[in-house]
Amino acid sequence: MEILVLSLFLNGIGLGLVYAAVAIGFSLVLGVSGVINFSHGIMYALGAYFFWVLQGKIGFWPSVVLTPLLVAMIGFAIERILVRRVYGQDPLFGLVITLGFAMAIEELIRMIFGPAAYSVSAPSFAKGVLIFGNFVYPVYRLFISVVAAAMLAALWILVEKTNFGAVVKAGMFNPEMVGALGNNLTFLRTSVFVIGAALAGLSGIIAAPVWGIKSQMGTLILMPSFVIVLMGGLGSIPGTILGGILVGVSTSLATLIIPRFVDIIPYLMMGFIIYFRPRGIFGEQNIVE
Amino acid sequence: MERGQKRCVQHVVLLIAAFFALGLMASPADAQKKQPIRIGVVSPVSGNFADHGLLERIGMEMALEDYNNEVLGRPITLIVADDETNPDVAARRARRLVEVDGVKFLMGGVSTSTALSVGAVAEEKKVLFIATNQNGDQVTGESARHYVFRTPPDMAILVRAGAKYTADNLGKKWFFLTHDYSWGHSGTKWARNMLGKVGAKEVGEIKVPMGNRDFSSQLLTIRNSDADVLVITVAGFDNVSLLKQMNEYKIYDKMKVWYTLMDVVDLFAVPAEDRQAYVCAETYYRASPEMEKLNERYQKKYPRAASPVLDTGTYNGWLSMKMLLEAIKRAKTADNVEKVVCAMEGLTIKDNARKSPSYVRPWDHQVLTEVVFGKVNPVQGNDIIDVKAYVPAEQVARTKEENPVNVGCKK
Repeated sequence: MEILVLSLFLNGIGLGLVYAAVAIGFSLVLGVSGVINFSHGIMYALGAYFFWVLQGKIGFWPSVVLTPLLVAMIGFAIERILVRRVYGQDPLFGLVITLGFAMAIEELIRMIFGPAAYSVSAPSFAKGVLIFGNFVYPVYRLFISVVAAAMLAALWILVEKTNFGAVVKAGMFNPEMVGALGNNLTFLRTSVFVIGAALAGLSGIIAAPVWGIKSQMGTLILMPSFVIVLMGGLGSIPGTILGGILVGVSTSLATLIIPRFVDIIPYLMMGFIIYFRPRGIFGEQNIVE
Repeated sequence: MERGQKRCVQHVVLLIAAFFALGLMASPADAQKKQPIRIGVVSPVSGNFADHGLLERIGMEMALEDYNNEVLGRPITLIVADDETNPDVAARRARRLVEVDGVKFLMGGVSTSTALSVGAVAEEKKVLFIATNQNGDQVTGESARHYVFRTPPDMAILVRAGAKYTADNLGKKWFFLTHDYSWGHSGTKWARNMLGKVGAKEVGEIKVPMGNRDFSSQLLTIRNSDADVLVITVAGFDNVSLLKQMNEYKIYDKMKVWYTLMDVVDLFAVPAEDRQAYVCAETYYRASPEMEKLNERYQKKYPRAASPVLDTGTYNGWLSMKMLLEAIKRAKTADNVEKVVCAMEGLTIKDNARKSPSYVRPWDHQVLTEVVFGKVNPVQGNDIIDVKAYVPAEQVARTKEENPVNVGCKK
């Protein structure tokens, strides 16, 4: 039993890191620009599809590099053409415009690739499974946990240890003041949006061999991302990581006790956290209150 | 008026008179005869089962081709409505098809819950509905209705076709993994019902919600159980993830896996090494020379479809349309729904490309044909199931005592 609990716990941490990696871009854009970016899920789906197509043509590693760049370019285009128009307006405008775009792209994916599900094989170096008695952990899951952790760490360094990060953080508190102090607010918002898109694309790559790919995968990942961001606090990297791990570990362990209701657990936790701390665990007061 | 103008006016008057005369000669019956027969297809175009929806609609189109797109001299028009695999949406779309588009025949769907909601609309509006790809017991069980027919086998038929082989050859300690909605419950219910009869015992169950993508926690729990056999009733995109993750967590090294129902299309979505389970299936594309011909036709016409071989969903769409058109022919009308319903009852389709004919059982409106039990081939290519047995549905279907309903025309 102890081994099973340990397996489930570690599995939950791995899952949580992947969830956090998906959610972090969503959180940053919301924190910096105040836009509820519902196109984030479709960037994740595009990452998976681009990777699937490219992998067969140019191999694993070149696809891993090229895919996030392609998704970032699409993110750049969306920000310039659509999202920029809704900065500073009612958040509902941003939500509707990005949701509409996501629905259109999802339909486009369905038209090009069809409604069928596809699977992507894990790279050969990450195939196999670690087995110690009853303890089981697939090598690929370990690999994606490490990649997700590295992504989050790199982002943390960018935000916490660089000048650019300092401006981003300031932008979360008071974007207008950041602009008034001579910083290029437009560039800042575009950069964050593009980084968010690239992270979503990379998350799509690492998740594809585990969960498969299908046109509506972007829509399906949105709600867990939203829940994680609300739990952790808007724009907070540690908060998003903690939120992701809380969701991953709690749903994993709940399989032992209430397997039928594992899907409800994140929502219950979110309700509990928001009731006592509306800004989320690491959320800053002036963003939501 | 000049002479030329006068002649021109005369010609126009003559033409108008001829037009009206022709109109009078054509009787109202002729006009009705040429009116298209509208068939409403309530089927998933989006959502978890969108690919299955597309496949069943391909089958319907293939059947229409067989009939040159007409029956009783009237053309047939299909009107497709996306049910989104959501029972509320399905009912709303079905109601619209009847009230706005005036359809008298409905068919389609891949989820039991949508079959139940569309069936309720059909019963209320007195239109005929054929559930094309739903296997939950209720459709022809406790929720059986006079205006509702069901083409695929129910879960009792499928589970009973594989339970004995599984207990005798794969193992007697069964763990159930169940999709948490009516169809999933039906599969596990019948497998549980068979435990005592085949000498097996239950060691656990996990229910997973629809839309679940990650089965790692469930598989870890199952792997640590004492089970010999994992009995699965899970379908759709979720199942594609499950097939992959079972291999990832080396489930096959610990136990055998038996699917109470596998859609062949799901198997093509995963690499060969992920195909290792034993399965019950409704059809197999190599079941007979006729089925192989149907498959060749499908492959030629739809080379980019989700399933590279003729899938159960496509076959059921084809058979359902064929049954409806045969019933309309038998009833000699497409306007009197009641007559078509009664003509459906007892209908036997011999040229169904199967080993045995398809028969519509009058008292519960369940279509009976053989089902397939086999082992999935973990090899690349299209020969995807190693068939162990074709089991006639009559041998394993619910009896009148087990399913005490009577929705037939003869009470």
